[in-house]
Amino acid sequence: MRFKNIVFSAIGLGLSLLLTACPAQPAISPATPAAPTAGGKLIYGLTLAPSGIDPHVNASSELGIPLTSVYDTLVYQTADGDFVPGLATEWEISDNGLVYTFHLRQDVTFHDGTPFNAEAVKFNLNRIADPETKSQKAALMLGPYDHCDVVDEYTVKVFFREPYAPFLDSLSQVYLGMASPTALEKWGADYQMHQVGTGPFMFKEYVPQDHLTLVRNPDYNWAPAIFNHQGPAYLDEIEFRFFVDPATRALALEAGEAHVIGEIPPQDAARLEDNPAFKIVAVPIPGQPLQAFLNTTKSPTDDLRVRQALLYATDREAIVQAIFREYSPVAWGPLSAVTWGYNEAVVGQYKYDPARARELLDEAGWQDTDGDGIREKDGQRLVVAAYLMSWGYIPEVATLLQSQWKEVGVDVRSQQVAYPAALEAARLGKHNLILFNLAGSDPDLLRGFFHSEANFNWAKVNDPQLDALLEEGARLRDQAERQAIYADIQEKIMEQALIIPLRDYVNLNGVSAQVQDLRYDAQGWFPWLYDVWLSRSGD
Amino acid sequence: MIQYIGKRLLSALPVLWGVTTLVFLAIHLVPGDPAEVILAQSGGSSEALEQLRARLGLDAPLLVQYVRFLSNTLRGDLGRSLFTNRPVVQTIGEQLPHTVQLALAAMAVAIVVGGALGSAAAIKRGSWLDNLCMTLAVVGVSTPVFWSALLFILLFTTTLHWLPATGQGSLRHLIMPALVLGLASSGTIARLVRSSLLEVLSQEYITVARSKGLSERTLLLRHALRNALIPTITVIGLQFSFLLGGAVVTETVFSRQGMGRLIVDAILWKDFPVIQGVVLLSAVLYTLVNLAVDISYAFLDPRIRHE
Repeated sequence: MRFKNIVFSAIGLGLSLLLTACPAQPAISPATPAAPTAGGKLIYGLTLAPSGIDPHVNASSELGIPLTSVYDTLVYQTADGDFVPGLATEWEISDNGLVYTFHLRQDVTFHDGTPFNAEAVKFNLNRIADPETKSQKAALMLGPYDHCDVVDEYTVKVFFREPYAPFLDSLSQVYLGMASPTALEKWGADYQMHQVGTGPFMFKEYVPQDHLTLVRNPDYNWAPAIFNHQGPAYLDEIEFRFFVDPATRALALEAGEAHVIGEIPPQDAARLEDNPAFKIVAVPIPGQPLQAFLNTTKSPTDDLRVRQALLYATDREAIVQAIFREYSPVAWGPLSAVTWGYNEAVVGQYKYDPARARELLDEAGWQDTDGDGIREKDGQRLVVAAYLMSWGYIPEVATLLQSQWKEVGVDVRSQQVAYPAALEAARLGKHNLILFNLAGSDPDLLRGFFHSEANFNWAKVNDPQLDALLEEGARLRDQAERQAIYADIQEKIMEQALIIPLRDYVNLNGVSAQVQDLRYDAQGWFPWLYDVWLSRSGD
Repeated sequence: MIQYIGKRLLSALPVLWGVTTLVFLAIHLVPGDPAEVILAQSGGSSEALEQLRARLGLDAPLLVQYVRFLSNTLRGDLGRSLFTNRPVVQTIGEQLPHTVQLALAAMAVAIVVGGALGSAAAIKRGSWLDNLCMTLAVVGVSTPVFWSALLFILLFTTTLHWLPATGQGSLRHLIMPALVLGLASSGTIARLVRSSLLEVLSQEYITVARSKGLSERTLLLRHALRNALIPTITVIGLQFSFLLGGAVVTETVFSRQGMGRLIVDAILWKDFPVIQGVVLLSAVLYTLVNLAVDISYAFLDPRIRHE
């Protein structure tokens, strides 16, 4: 019995020693030393395991986070939407917009020693366009691509069947990154596990659902001027790991299991910001805001007055405050405020005005005749059918919409369904309302949602004028003219109340204070890790 | 015995065929189109949708797709994932060991903890120890894994800094997931061990053995526990499928590789070949575990062995 007591007290003593020995937080100084230091391994947390990581084949935005450091692109895009040289030093576009001529850098080699040249560009673009590649995104980004001609070793011409304005935007993204033709031929369908680019980091290994590792390319000497330095990258190695469960992301950061993790839940972001060992790098994402598409062919949202009433009845500030905190701006139109071509004229339209909403519903003939708080017309209750996907706080947003709209006498019947089922319901037009957003830096992405023949025309809009504008926007070369067209398109979409914009998407990256000079590309999703370096703790 | 095993394995074949066919029909009847899911990440026209469906072989009539699937499966080819374009057999082969490792570790936790709680409760029946053990068992059964996982991380990682919260590769990474998953299942085992042990202890042969002057220890270990194990083993076999299901949540919370995450993603994205592959494999595993349970009866109970 005495022995037992001694053991227990020993364990107790050990426990208390351990507890006092462990500091509450690793000692990290937030002060930034002036000069970057080379070396070290960065652990970068991804939020979902991408389904396939061949940038020419697969579509997930998660694949671009690691692979943007493996591939260089022909051009780079600045935050203002300008295009600057990358692997191409200069380029010309023919007057009819059908031919792009690129002059290439002559000092670039792939990680496997293959020289980069015009043949390599041709090989890459042809691979993407080849139906056998089964490209899920890159081929669409190539648009009406026709063929490529090698003019000389470092000059290449790209031909299109029709003018295609978003081409430079596409070329600036990792999906159209330049891969080694030697490696592509050698590995075939297994290329995704053995990727070879010309970028500042080399692909080392990928263990699906566990990690993806990159190591520094010691020969890298062709950094585009858009970066802060020249020569090889600072970091020795980058390990990407997957943190699928939102609830554990901040905990993993605090435990030192990653230096950077994206998509931190807003409430955890507020907590991390109070801790000097971390910072929140909030990156607004260009493209669509989170928005509700309103079906214009299904009652009751087939009536413009009802759609406008729903917009007036939505208190967006309250929704953003409650769910996304101070990190997300309220959205007013079909493009988020950081997107090139964004039209400020939409700001303040349909501002929260429940009285106006009630008026519009009265005008449309919806009255609460039986006193149950919900309006009726011809024996029909004013019910809106909503299809909800389970991510991105969509169910939470829908709950708030439901309570706000109840105030003006609208009932929401919402169904949370699996993603494929939601897409199918929306295609068949079973919905009045579906919430969605897609990221992208070129406003041409609106064509995929508001053209009458678009796959994701969930507002079921059929407006020849809007169709013509969307087609024209994709063809025009002149940036000012394009901007004017997209300004028009945004106003038209809001005039017809095709959507209820809710919040601009902002990616909340939790970042250790050790990580210096972390910037993101024009897409907002993809980090530029070439300039990143780690300050030593205690410096 | 070998004849018995052979017969059992043969009779499993129609079961496997039935399961795969039902799953094939079910996933094709549920609304949703993988090609549409793929395109939703990049927009695109309805023409692009048709092209993609054709490239993925989704435009063929259901019967054609079924025959194609069946004949490929018989040749051991489970196809390629619609999303990653990697062979399903390879994908499963990479993930399966991680889930089996987690499930076995959790099973060990469940058996040790559940067995200890259950026996203690039965031996001290009606005492405060019995009440305590059974309360713990109810807590174990009724605590959702995703919640207890977070509590464990808060305690062992955030507060004590003892164990890593996420990832895998070492024994330290396995401890928390195995505990979380194992404890959830230990409650069921504890309750069962208690009730079957109580039943055995009330049998006449125990009274006889006790009157012969056997020590309580011998009595319990040699005579009672062994007989109480038979119903318990059946439940442990059933618990294995619970553990595989629980692994889905556990793997997600602790950012581990494994079948759980594979099947959830496959269902969410409607990746037909992967779903079919995983279901086929689960059916095979389940059949084998049940067979192992039946065979273990024979070892535990001479009456079954002699029949």
